[in-house]
Amino acid sequence: MIRLAAHLLLATPAVVLALAWQGRALGVDPQKSLIWETGIWTFNLLLLVLLLPRVARWTHWPVLLRYRRAVGLWVFSYASAHFLFFLSFLLGWDFPRLAEEIVKRPYVLLGFAAWLTLFALALTSTRGAMRRLGRHWKRLHSAVYLALALVTVHYLLMIRSDWAWPVSYASLALLMLVLRLRSGNRVRS
Amino acid sequence: MTRITDQTAYRRRRFIAGALGLCTLGGFGALRYGRHWPRPEATADKAPVPAVAEADAVVLHNADNRLTSKHAATHYNNAYEFGWNKADPYRESGAFQMTPWAVSFDGLCAKPGTFDIDELMGMPFSHLEERVYDFRCVEAWSMVIPYNGRPLSDIIRAVEPLASARYVAFTSVLRPEEMPGQASAFSTLDWPYVEALTIKEAMHPLTFATFGVYGDRELPQNGMPFRITVPWKYGFKSPKFIVRITFTEERPMATWNVENPGEYGWFSNVYPDISHPRWSQATERRIWDDGEIERIPSRPYNGYAEQVAQLYPGAQQQYR
Repeated sequence: MIRLAAHLLLATPAVVLALAWQGRALGVDPQKSLIWETGIWTFNLLLLVLLLPRVARWTHWPVLLRYRRAVGLWVFSYASAHFLFFLSFLLGWDFPRLAEEIVKRPYVLLGFAAWLTLFALALTSTRGAMRRLGRHWKRLHSAVYLALALVTVHYLLMIRSDWAWPVSYASLALLMLVLRLRSGNRVRS
Repeated sequence: MTRITDQTAYRRRRFIAGALGLCTLGGFGALRYGRHWPRPEATADKAPVPAVAEADAVVLHNADNRLTSKHAATHYNNAYEFGWNKADPYRESGAFQMTPWAVSFDGLCAKPGTFDIDELMGMPFSHLEERVYDFRCVEAWSMVIPYNGRPLSDIIRAVEPLASARYVAFTSVLRPEEMPGQASAFSTLDWPYVEALTIKEAMHPLTFATFGVYGDRELPQNGMPFRITVPWKYGFKSPKFIVRITFTEERPMATWNVENPGEYGWFSNVYPDISHPRWSQATERRIWDDGEIERIPSRPYNGYAEQVAQLYPGAQQQYR
């Protein structure tokens, strides 16, 4: 029941976005809104997934940890939607052009690398994969911090003149990294 | 951190964590989506058919002579003076005073002075020429827009630039109290906005002194009351809200070029083969109407090569 509610909550931005798209409420250029909003929600949930174990420890509320995988999979879902919209709206499914863009444009390279990282984590998020990978699983999944670093720079590279949002997100990401490094040599969650 | 915190303390922490979570969500929602609510009602005005005389120097490139809808062209604009969001120019321009409006001419010209906008138009607004131009933004989207105005060369001739004048600089208005983007602490642009052309570019018959679009002057989001339109260059080379025009011998600075010379060239002619460092310019997304967007190949000089290519001898790279 709670699990269902959690999934519904995490799906809310996607549902609202889909309804707004259908209702022609995304403005003159809905394609751009879809790309930007799925991107920002990937970042939001990525921060949430990293915050979850910290909140669980601080509040002694281990139940929260059960929803980490759910949030993580939603991070991957929003990232995939973001990537698909980019492919469809900006590249028109032109795969040679995708390869060219990845080579030529650092922000595309970083975004693609982040998506691949999240893809690897999503693929190995099952109980079976956890069992098979054993002690390597934890090390592999600390790559979520790699994904965080990649999306942070990806977003910073989008700055043209207004830097408030990207720099705010970069500060939060930096905070998460510092917290992680500081607690790294103490008890691991 | 003490390990002897009792159950009540943890309950309080859970409450705090929950409250902080809700506050964060609410704050994020308000900051990011607050201004979208309530939404402006969607208007369903269809793209008008251009009412243009054959004799006008109209260059329509699309097969069915189609224009972008006025709603799309007036609700999706770049005017960083009002904010970086495409909706900011129409949403945040309510306080902008468009009358009176005067433009001063100075620098290397024989008849410098300040002229009222009516003098610049030289005729009633309704008598101005209408020209349909393809508008190509450096961000790889484009629109087809009917502009109301007259060739800029008509105006420039009246102030008699000297033979030594090689460049023309256009300075936009500086009114942070009416333009929230100029007042923003988060913008890296230097205000006022300045753009510049060579005198040959400024005198080219396609360069258009613009006083309205779609027959409408009351559109600050489109750069009114006075802007110029240079259709073969990326949109930011067509400055808005112009209050000063200066003739110089040295090449003037241009705002975006100073901001990031690697990404925004001084000439910034449309060259599909020369990418912006962060995205390709080979194709553009033609915006016809709200949500109606078509991907089309971009053309050298935005389709005006026949008229302007002779201005740029030699390698394209020097005119990026």
